[in-house]
Amino acid sequence: MVQSILDAISLGGLYSLAALGLGLVFGVMRLVNFAHAELITIAAYTLVLTAQFPLAVSLLFTVIVTVFVALLMEFSVYRRLRGVNPAIMLIASFGLSTVLQRVYELMFGALPRSAVVAPFLRGDFKVAGLSITISSIITIVLTIVILLAMGYLIEKTSLGLQLRAASADFKTARLLGVRSNRLISAAFGLSGVLAACVALILVIQNPQISPYYGLNITILSLVGIVIGGIASLRGAALGGFIVGVVLSSLNTLLGNGRVYAYSWLFILVLVILLVRPGGLLSKGSELERV
Amino acid sequence: MDQKSFHANEISKSFGALQVLDNVTLNVNPGEIVGLLGPNGAGKSTFINILAGYEKQDGGTVVVEGKPLDGLKPNARARAGIARTFQSGRLFGNLTVAENVALGAIGLGESGKVAHERSESILEILGIEKLSPHAAGSISHGNARLVGLARAVAAHPKYLIMDEPAAGLNEDEAPRLLQALEVIRKNIGCGMLLVEHNVKLVTQACSRVVVLATGILIFDGNPRDALNNADVKTAYLGNAGVH
Repeated sequence: MVQSILDAISLGGLYSLAALGLGLVFGVMRLVNFAHAELITIAAYTLVLTAQFPLAVSLLFTVIVTVFVALLMEFSVYRRLRGVNPAIMLIASFGLSTVLQRVYELMFGALPRSAVVAPFLRGDFKVAGLSITISSIITIVLTIVILLAMGYLIEKTSLGLQLRAASADFKTARLLGVRSNRLISAAFGLSGVLAACVALILVIQNPQISPYYGLNITILSLVGIVIGGIASLRGAALGGFIVGVVLSSLNTLLGNGRVYAYSWLFILVLVILLVRPGGLLSKGSELERV
Repeated sequence: MDQKSFHANEISKSFGALQVLDNVTLNVNPGEIVGLLGPNGAGKSTFINILAGYEKQDGGTVVVEGKPLDGLKPNARARAGIARTFQSGRLFGNLTVAENVALGAIGLGESGKVAHERSESILEILGIEKLSPHAAGSISHGNARLVGLARAVAAHPKYLIMDEPAAGLNEDEAPRLLQALEVIRKNIGCGMLLVEHNVKLVTQACSRVVVLATGILIFDGNPRDALNNADVKTAYLGNAGVH
């Protein structure tokens, strides 16, 4: 039971980080970046391919590679399309996602790549007779640290203030002189950092990396930002957390019926959206924007 | 033309066959509050949109302190020292009042620390420092107008364009706006162009008014004289009446 609760919290935290990465980019560009999945995937590949190095070196290298790919994505595709119809941007992100999956397949092969990343984080320990996995505790601690750092950045720094303003009303932020290229690049860079963090946590739990590795968590995190409130960074983080906790709890509660966990999750999502169409943290304005 | 002034020279603009502005020339000097009056459809909004870079003129030039602004987008003009307020306020409802005002400075490259200090200082100058921690989406319309003004001033602009700042204010709130304009003039010293339907407010706040009618500048002078000018009466006051 305790392990199940910890698993639910750790999965919630993980989805929260992924949703925050998506929410940052959505906030400044109104872009649902499906290719965020490929940022998580490239980060996971980098972690596995550099597993022979000390974890800190491997992690640093992973962050650099992921941020580079995120910035390249923004500069080479999304910057060229800025201002076009959101539907075109959405299709472009699908296209980019598919192209990158094929590129990864060519680079790393279609079969999963594997390596033991941070072996000291595997295994479990006993507390009052209960067996608890180290990875679930590490995931929770890591998620809390990253969310606190992101919270500080978003709530207390000048960059965070600009990101929050741009998330609410990008046009007015620009009219106040906020430099859009710099802000959008910063959002993509941060989403790359978050993708690397998500990949680290995922790889500790599942080191079998395929070209589609980041897809599942990205789609579910997108569901999270929709139910949390698509125009709010806090909403994105909350929504991601809810999706993770609910999914983990359903998997535990449904037992053999866990194949229906996604069905129940999406029923819950539909109910939330029927009651609060703009998301849990919306105040109604998002509806008008859509 | 004063080298330090904000100068619009012979601005023309047409939308299809409709000429909205016809060779309009206007000068605003540092520390001066100039009122821009005119009935609906006179071309006021188009004119200030051109000044702030939201629309391109067909002819004429816009110059600040001797430097032409033509071709610059609104954010570039903001960095050149031209700030504006919006009729709709355009505050970030999810941010606090202090953060909204600080953004005015951050947008132009000030550090967060300087911007927040400036924000507190401007809110205090305008007498609305108690609003500082409140979400901008939760304050009254009158206060939102003042916060919008504070945000524009936080950029320490050389010139400030105000688009109907008194719109929707009640009789208690309008004097607070008038007081705020005077405080800004004294403390910040920027030149201001006040586009307003409230003639009483304009005559009280401004040392000079210009009047537009059907895209033509028909008066430029003392506010008291404007009220007695036959052309102005015919074009504007005769239709709209004095508030």
